[in-house]
Amino acid sequence: MHEGMLFGFDPVWYAGLLFVATYILVMTERLNRAVISITAACLMIIGGVLTQQAAFEGVDFNTLGLLTGMMMIVGLAKNSGIFQFLAIWSVKRVKADPWGILVMLVVVTAVLSALLDNVTTVLLIAPVTLLITDTLKINAYPYLFAEIFASNIGGTATLIGDPPNIMIGSAVGLGFNDFFFNLAPVVVVILAITLLILYLFWGRSLETDPALQEKVMEYRERDAITDARLLKQSLVVLTLVMMGFVFGHDLGLQPATVAMFGASLLLIVHNLKRSAAEESVSVHKTFCEVEWTTLFFFIGLFIVVYGVESTGLLERIAHHIMEITGGDRSVTAISILWVSAVASALVDNIPFVATMIPLIESMATTFGNNGELLPLWWSLALGSCLGGNGSLVGASANLIVAGFAERSGQPIHFTKFMLGAFPLMLLSILISSIYIQLRYF
Amino acid sequence: MNAAAIMDPHPTILRPTDMISTAARFIMEKRYRSLPVVDEHGCYLGMFGVNCLLKQVLPKAALMEKGLTNLSFIHDSLADLHERFHELEDKPVSMCTNKEVETIAPDTPLIETLMLLYTQRASIPVVEPGSCKLLGMISYWDVGKGILAS
Repeated sequence: MHEGMLFGFDPVWYAGLLFVATYILVMTERLNRAVISITAACLMIIGGVLTQQAAFEGVDFNTLGLLTGMMMIVGLAKNSGIFQFLAIWSVKRVKADPWGILVMLVVVTAVLSALLDNVTTVLLIAPVTLLITDTLKINAYPYLFAEIFASNIGGTATLIGDPPNIMIGSAVGLGFNDFFFNLAPVVVVILAITLLILYLFWGRSLETDPALQEKVMEYRERDAITDARLLKQSLVVLTLVMMGFVFGHDLGLQPATVAMFGASLLLIVHNLKRSAAEESVSVHKTFCEVEWTTLFFFIGLFIVVYGVESTGLLERIAHHIMEITGGDRSVTAISILWVSAVASALVDNIPFVATMIPLIESMATTFGNNGELLPLWWSLALGSCLGGNGSLVGASANLIVAGFAERSGQPIHFTKFMLGAFPLMLLSILISSIYIQLRYF
Repeated sequence: MNAAAIMDPHPTILRPTDMISTAARFIMEKRYRSLPVVDEHGCYLGMFGVNCLLKQVLPKAALMEKGLTNLSFIHDSLADLHERFHELEDKPVSMCTNKEVETIAPDTPLIETLMLLYTQRASIPVVEPGSCKLLGMISYWDVGKGILAS
């Protein structure tokens, strides 16, 4: 694969430097991350590290298909108003009590994040939150802070909740149930403890006028449903897709097939009675909901990491890690957990996980590959997903919420957020460490 | 023909220190959609109009980018809206001035002026190039009057 290296460069150095440069450029955010990763992928091919055919082999189409399918389903389903309905309905269940609202919005955000992607969840919940806090004339900060945490914690619980889990699941062949039964228990504990800490910080100071609570109680959640037909269709398809994730793995169905089939099914039933021209417009609109820049970022990244992997560099690093941890599986798992958490708080967790996957796979030579690596995969998933809570730049969802807060005139400042969020994130990692240690060793 | 030929050189103006309640009453009585806000030196600062008032009574969550697109679950009464407006009444016009409205120079060709009127859907301030001095305003009615008179 490396015989035709440009100018006779050493493939390890060339791929390694290209990888580091890609990482640095993604971190600086001076250029769009999709442009950076695609350029780096092309340079990996032009430099001779990979042929074009080999590069395509490095692309994980299961991850891409799952992301695309879910983006299409949610992009269409959200037009029904179901998510606003859920938020308002839950707020009214607690009689618009300020602390009760925080708890309900945290639970709704966490559950939705487990089933949808985090960015979509906060895009749908944050505006309703701002409307409610505006009506109640209370500070929106505790609510938005709690929702950021809930989205990242909830997303950790399932295969489809957060991109790192999708990537790990796809690379290792782990299904929806594997993630749910191994990660959901600790996620519930972390969410409960996070709520307890938020209560100690803000719970008793959240007060409002009963007359304003009455105004929120006058909201008619049923009127938030703008398309009842689409709502029914979306619920049926989402249920089928969830069933596909739960039962499909044993039948040999990959998540991408399930998600893409769900998306196409929803598009068919939604446009059933429309003319060809109307259907074309509707389908085009749904495809516009797909975040193409994110997908192309993934494609480029997969190729860059595959290029580095093909040079044997990652295997060498894995051996080095083994030397540091003394080849102890438990120490290695906990190290992966903490390193991924701190790294994911500071840099994009997607390139980090993309790099860690082949690195952990290389450890099979030491630990074996009959389930011995599983604790390492769960550590990577917990660390990279929960680590996103450590700072405002830790996850895309955090930045989306911060954007809303700024537009509403109540900005979330980077340092203020980190002072509260980083210790709370470390606490979640401590809980995860105890869980990993108790359950797997 | 250019913008200067059809503009109203003596438009009704607001001062940035005028109260929102006064300005709102004035634009309601005279059925203006918007009025230019000009300081004591004749410098154009922006536009104050009906949209700005609507913006103040609508929830922020609906006005922001990617915000709520459906508000049909909120059933506010006129009294609720009045209450929200009441909170603003004593505030100066400057806090509700739209600075995004495009301005034109007096020598802008007529057809370019019409195009801007069409895309902006509001009266256009004519501002002296190189300074901020307001020279006049061009409304649909000024253009209509000009065309009919010719």
